[in-house]
Amino acid sequence: MMSETQQLSLDLKRMIIDTLELEDITPDDIDEDAPLFGEGLGLDSIDALELGLALQKRYGVKLDAEAEDTRRHFASLAALRALVEAHRDV
Amino acid sequence: MDELCLSQWCGWQKHGEDRPDTPQLLPSDGPGKSLPAMLRRRLDDAGRATCDILASLDSGAELPLLHASRHGDATRTLAMLHDLIAGEALSPTRFSLSVHNATLGIHSIARQHQRPLQALSACGNEFDALLSEARGYLAEGYPAVVIAFTEGDIPKEYLGHTEHPGKACAVGMRLSLNEGHKLVAGASGNSLPRPTPIDIIEWLCGAGKTPIGRHGWTLA
Repeated sequence: MMSETQQLSLDLKRMIIDTLELEDITPDDIDEDAPLFGEGLGLDSIDALELGLALQKRYGVKLDAEAEDTRRHFASLAALRALVEAHRDV
Repeated sequence: MDELCLSQWCGWQKHGEDRPDTPQLLPSDGPGKSLPAMLRRRLDDAGRATCDILASLDSGAELPLLHASRHGDATRTLAMLHDLIAGEALSPTRFSLSVHNATLGIHSIARQHQRPLQALSACGNEFDALLSEARGYLAEGYPAVVIAFTEGDIPKEYLGHTEHPGKACAVGMRLSLNEGHKLVAGASGNSLPRPTPIDIIEWLCGAGKTPIGRHGWTLA
């Protein structure tokens, strides 16, 4: 049985793969703690905007593209999950 | 007038037949092999094939590249219009790629190409427009120029309202002033149908003997 945290991780990974049309990448390929941008998964700034929109549509999380916090939330899959969890707890 | 010469060409069609006797035709399936996966995902099949054609005709990334498409990526453009009508936020990726030079942009990043790039649309006269622009670059002193002409899949809403080859297709030619077969213009202002990329592929497969385009081009 998958924990709620594991399920959310998997959902976020699938969202990233589908939204960003990542070819040949499966959820297992996305390391929870590896950087999503630049090194690691290798996403770029347009992907960041696209992910921001997807988070808003799916989880109601609104991010300010200019805010310093946004950079921190997008640092890794684990950071993104923490953001969504925090939003759910509000 | 300076001569225009064709030294090499390359074509692609979605769902094309195998033609082993024509090595200039790329395989129909899986276009985009010249692009890394992270860039390939940004383009549709026609855009991917265009990049493969440009890479094949300009392997050293050293020539000016001209790319024409009459309709561009009409499928994604129409999808964005639908989103706007529905009050949905536009996809930043789709929006950023909705410019006519998106394919050349992706290609130039992938190949680190730093020469002139030009995107054209000419209401059906893309072939003649490409030749005219190519002549300009050659007159500037470039040793050769690569032109490409692409049509993507067209949304069903547009069928019957515009000329379209019926499937995604692309063709590229490497032109210079003195290398290969001479392009000869016939009488201008004739009533030949405006060529699609598929028409140009067929023309090249037939060694360019029948006149094509607004200026009735043949290959000598």
